Amino acid sequence: MASAVALLGASLLMVLLWMVFFWVPTEAVQGVIQRIFYVHVPAAWVSFMAFGIVALCGVMYLWLKDDRFDRLAVSAAEGGMVFTTIVLLTGPLWGKIAWGTYWTWEPRLTLTLLLWFIYLGYFMVRNATENPERGKRFAAVVGIVGALDIPLIHVSVLWFRSLHPQPVVLNAEGPALDADMGITIGMGVLAFTVFFFGVMMLRYQLECARARAELLEAR
Amino acid sequence: MNAYLRQVYAVVRKDLLQELRTRQRVATMGAFAVLVAVLFNYAVDPTIVRIQNIAAGLLWMTLIFAGIMGVGRTFALEAEDGAFQGVLLAPIPRDAIYLGKVISNTVLVTVVVALTVGVFGLFFQLQYGTHPVALALTLFLGVVGFVALATLFGAVTAGTTLGEALLPVLLFPLLVPLVVYGVGATGRLLQNRPLAEVEGNIRILGAFAVACIAIGAVLFRHVVED
Amino acid sequence: MTATAPGPRLEAEGLARAFGAHRAVDHVSFTLEPGEVVALLGPNGAGKTTLLRLLSGALRPSEGVVKLDGRALDTRGPEWQSRVGVLSHQGFLYGHLSARENLRFYADLYALDHARERVERGLESVQLTPRADDTVRTYSRGMRQRLALARTLLHDPDVVLLDEPYTGLDAHAAAVLRGVLEALRDGARTVLLVTHNLTEGLALSDRIAIQVRGRWVHEAPARDFDPTTIHERYRQTVEGAGGGAP
Repeated sequence: MASAVALLGASLLMVLLWMVFFWVPTEAVQGVIQRIFYVHVPAAWVSFMAFGIVALCGVMYLWLKDDRFDRLAVSAAEGGMVFTTIVLLTGPLWGKIAWGTYWTWEPRLTLTLLLWFIYLGYFMVRNATENPERGKRFAAVVGIVGALDIPLIHVSVLWFRSLHPQPVVLNAEGPALDADMGITIGMGVLAFTVFFFGVMMLRYQLECARARAELLEAR
Repeated sequence: MNAYLRQVYAVVRKDLLQELRTRQRVATMGAFAVLVAVLFNYAVDPTIVRIQNIAAGLLWMTLIFAGIMGVGRTFALEAEDGAFQGVLLAPIPRDAIYLGKVISNTVLVTVVVALTVGVFGLFFQLQYGTHPVALALTLFLGVVGFVALATLFGAVTAGTTLGEALLPVLLFPLLVPLVVYGVGATGRLLQNRPLAEVEGNIRILGAFAVACIAIGAVLFRHVVED
Repeated sequence: MTATAPGPRLEAEGLARAFGAHRAVDHVSFTLEPGEVVALLGPNGAGKTTLLRLLSGALRPSEGVVKLDGRALDTRGPEWQSRVGVLSHQGFLYGHLSARENLRFYADLYALDHARERVERGLESVQLTPRADDTVRTYSRGMRQRLALARTLLHDPDVVLLDEPYTGLDAHAAAVLRGVLEALRDGARTVLLVTHNLTEGLALSDRIAIQVRGRWVHEAPARDFDPTTIHERYRQTVEGAGGGAP
């Protein structure tokens, strides 16, 4: 089941690649670099969705103390961190050409950077306890507080930006989408989401297998 | 007295009594704050920038760094002779322990922030603006919000092998709203801007503090109970 | 203290706790009668301390139930917490507070009535009144342990759990401790005493239990044990159960 979903996601990614390189028209103002959006935007979507799963599973884990929720949470978090990293790599690549600088304190990019650090904290507490169960609880707490704080971080960085002059940029807003571009973005979101869930489920199975192996080893 | 309040008060009283005896935390935080101000004096060239213009940011950075040192210690002190285990064996609601800790830490950090503000006035001739009460309220609400999160995550890091070194990693990303609105309000108050311009910020800081306390009170149990 | 109910005071049924894959306590069942003093012996790493932590509510059991007076018990609930007293090998004391302040702090945590009188009585019972205003860090190991005992008994618990109370005590402190423990045998209080010291355990208890590798492998009334042969019998029991050197 999990591998089927992952394979489906991978095939959708192939279709997405074909669409990005051969099908969708080149955006008039920005040119070829705009095509990175079809990776950047879906990756950002998956990053935040994954953190939602981390937080929800964290709540369930603290409530029911059922290891399966923790396994699901850590699987989502690992995937989420990979996709967050993709966002942070593709954003500046685009920014260098479109804005003339690798980094600006663009609110969404800033938020993603902070999300990446919250993920980092999540993994650091998890692996820094002698009693593994305690690490799971601590990680759940980080996930929950992080998820509650993220909207506020978003509001605050938006507010901050509204006050401060931005560096001169060629085009501060994202490109205006025509229909084909919209379809490609939609395809990207679909492909990334399916692929993410496939990988997450595979990772979850691995985590379950690891727990079983530990039990057997102890016997 | 209501049993719950008595328990909260017991924690506050014990913490402050301990601090009164050792003066460990206030002394380290206070020395840190004053010495940072000394370093700022050389780190900022007054012929290029006026300290008055950047004092808000410096104040808040000092608040956070000094606060991390002080609040980070709170559970290390409890670990001595396993005392915190004894507390957890008592029939005291976990949120009462958390609230007690938040109150005592708020007292300590507030003392240090007051000292920092005074030192900035002395060293840099910082003018506190025309609304000192609003300035004090801004800083105080900032301290409460900071302490609420730092106490929760201080309990987390105290339970890890990395200890207090992990605290900034967990805490700093979450403190962004506090810094944005706190520095925003403080900077304007120091520039004598009208109160109406900072009212919204102060409200958000208050809401942030209340929300953090509520989250901390709910989650604290899951951090300290094995 | 509540009136003596018929039937056992404390029951454990299939109590188990694993750390990852390591089973520290492996499905232990037993009953403790009101007024009974049970000594729990066993080699290092047998999970005795873990068992005490499960009973005290410091740890959540992975499996099993604990019953108090026949009713299933939430070991982390306030009802149980106010009826159990725990003396660990750590004292749970604040070094920078005085003995009186330490007890006062715990009296407030337990929301006890007549806190002042209880604190004074507690200090008296362990002969610490003359030094009650000195900070605890100036105390010797023995004095700390006596204060810890007063803290354990401050709220007058029905069930007392003691973990190696004699470790590192001088003769005087051991004598005071023995006196207080003797006084605990008032017929109403249930005591579970974990110890390495076989002779001491035998002298103080009504019943002896031996735990090896997370299981209770032997239980017998204390009168069945002969002080001269207890060491040999203990060694054989432990080795028979696959435990290491006692």
